[in-house]
Amino acid sequence: MPDLSITIAGIEMKNPLTVGSGTYGHHGRFSQFFPVETMGALVPKTIRPHQWPGNPPQRVLEVPAGLHSSVGIPSIPWEQFETEDAPRLKALNLPVIQSVIGRTEDEYAEVVRRCTELDAFAGLELNLSCPNLKQGGLDFGYDPEAAFRLVSRARQQTDLPLIAKLAPDYSSLVPVAQAIEAAGADAVALVNAPRAMCIDADTLKPMIGNGVGALSGPAIKPMAVYMVWTLYRAISLPIFGMGGVATYRDVIEFMAAGAAAVAFGTVSYVDPMALPRALRELEAWMVQNGIDDVTQLVGAAHDADFERPQSRRVA
Amino acid sequence: MEQIDAPVVSNVHLTGEYWLLEVEAPSVAAALEPGQFVNIRIRDSLAPFLRRPFSVYRVNPEKTRLQVAYKILGNGTRLMKETLQPGTACDLIGPLGKGFELPEDAKTIALVGRGIGIAALPMLADLAAARGVTSHAFLSARSRDNLVGAEIFASHGGQVFTHADDTPDDVALVTDHLLRMAESTAFDALYVCGSNRLIRQVDQLARARGIPAQSAMEQHMACGFGDCHGCIIEVNLDRDGDTRGYREVCHHGPVFDTWEVANA
Ligand SMILES: Cc1cc2nc3c(=O)[nH]c(=O)nc-3n(C[C@H](O)[C@H](O)[C@H](O)COP(=O)(O)OP(=O)(O)OC[C@H]3O[C@@H](n4cnc5c(N)ncnc54)[C@H](O)[C@@H]3O)c2cc1C
Ligand SMILES: Cc1cc2nc3c(=O)[nH]c(=O)nc-3n(C[C@H](O)[C@H](O)[C@H](O)COP(=O)(O)O)c2cc1C
Ligand code: FES
Repeated sequence: MPDLSITIAGIEMKNPLTVGSGTYGHHGRFSQFFPVETMGALVPKTIRPHQWPGNPPQRVLEVPAGLHSSVGIPSIPWEQFETEDAPRLKALNLPVIQSVIGRTEDEYAEVVRRCTELDAFAGLELNLSCPNLKQGGLDFGYDPEAAFRLVSRARQQTDLPLIAKLAPDYSSLVPVAQAIEAAGADAVALVNAPRAMCIDADTLKPMIGNGVGALSGPAIKPMAVYMVWTLYRAISLPIFGMGGVATYRDVIEFMAAGAAAVAFGTVSYVDPMALPRALRELEAWMVQNGIDDVTQLVGAAHDADFERPQSRRVA
Repeated sequence: MEQIDAPVVSNVHLTGEYWLLEVEAPSVAAALEPGQFVNIRIRDSLAPFLRRPFSVYRVNPEKTRLQVAYKILGNGTRLMKETLQPGTACDLIGPLGKGFELPEDAKTIALVGRGIGIAALPMLADLAAARGVTSHAFLSARSRDNLVGAEIFASHGGQVFTHADDTPDDVALVTDHLLRMAESTAFDALYVCGSNRLIRQVDQLARARGIPAQSAMEQHMACGFGDCHGCIIEVNLDRDGDTRGYREVCHHGPVFDTWEVANA
């Protein structure tokens, strides 16, 4: 039996498979198709510190090999999350990494503090794909300075492993990741779904309610693999890789690029058994190829003598 | 709710632009309630990539098979027609959503449908008949051959009124027929699907009579089982329509009370 376990940012996962926040489960209820404990760690949908209705309809639209969506991270009232969702999550027999978001630095700090106090989570994921209204609406995750301040503030609020989930932007990717590392994050997750838009050629108007949305699914996989590959070379932190993962071969691809754990996202909407099937097939593939430890795959696409950079952590 | 590979029994032209798919799906069929839906995947396809949601049209008396009546619209339904043949299996998830409620003491109900929306109603007519409830149907479509399932409603003995936009003789709208019949008939519940105008008129009648009325709604879906938050519609949170909120069609619906969705 090959060893599939992996420890990432101090979180012990029995296998490297997890899910992209917002793509699996519903308010702490999970085992609709397979036992949630099948995966190595669970990342539930992003929670805000305040109730939020989310974006107007139409929220989802199919595009070739993918999904165009703008859901807007609707959030239940915090009290409901605390009394209903959190106990369910805490009762699960696997590490739960809760994703959080705020509209301001203060809100991020607040939700990190509250989630830490719940004593239910193995780690926290900072969703940086939120427009920073004080800085002209540029996402926190696109701006190295804003990302540094935000992760530093979050770091002060928690001793839990802190994972920063990056907005996929080529020009700022490396500087933002380096800033996050310096600010004391324990891992990065990427990619979040890139910004996208569809315009109706008859009405000449955007096709989803919010106008601007995101693109996810197999269509973005090569872009996501490239970004994981790039950050493996640019920072020292472990990487949760995702973006269009659908099969065990995609898992291998992301791990070879540098991901230590791999998340299933949009595919779960279409093929809810994709994750458990990939786990079985990954194990069979390792047996067939004589690989007895899954960590051997991490970064395997890079030259054998390549060494990752030293940590830049300042605090 | 479960995901199954349902062997295809048949997939044949029904009427007008509609095809009828029948699959072997005992576990899903046995659990299905009228108004619920199934979500069908086009196998090994990246375009279409998402599943396609369909109301269940009918379930056989043994509850081992289910039928979907689908209109050929785009790539997904075209591929359903071409690839789902006897000998193949249909990857489906179901039963999904919340179905129609038929009050225990109901004696007479009205089913009002337009176009694709009619496909959500035959299973309710079957259930009503099995419970000894009389159902009258009020069906409209753009053309006469797209009046899906008229013979099913007629087979249960209730009256069937139709309106086809392309038939000049059809002067009266289905709502005219409904209102006229309501003058002499005490409906215990009303059910509607397929047009906002019909929903508004049915809601008005239900309010005037103090009887329940329900409507099956549609929205674009990514998952169909409550995980993506993608399929919301705006609904009234109170009967006066003073407060509104978003509700996912796939698990709060697809069946809503008409006061929730009329003019929302
Ligand atoms: C709960 C529910 C029950 C349904 N029941 C039935 C049914 O019994 N019979 C039937 O024929 N159809 C039904 N539909 C609609 C059916 O899902 C769509 O017609 C189908 O997905 C179209 O797929 P396509 O690939 O052929 O067309 P596409 O190329 O995807 O789309 C063709 C056109 O239809 C529109 N469309 C696609 N999906 C939807 C949707 N979910 N809601 C509204 N508009 C859409 C698109 O915007 C486009 O204009 C139902 C939808 C829902 C949500
Ligand atoms: C409908 C939808 C909702 C999402 N919600 C969240 C969310 O709440 N928080 C988050 O960090 N990412 C969210 N994501 C992004 C995914 O977690 C993932 O990063 C992205 O979709 C890329 O992976 P994929 O192509 O495999 O889906 C969402 C994606 C989709 C499609
Ligand atoms: S379609 Fe995903 S929540 Fe309704």
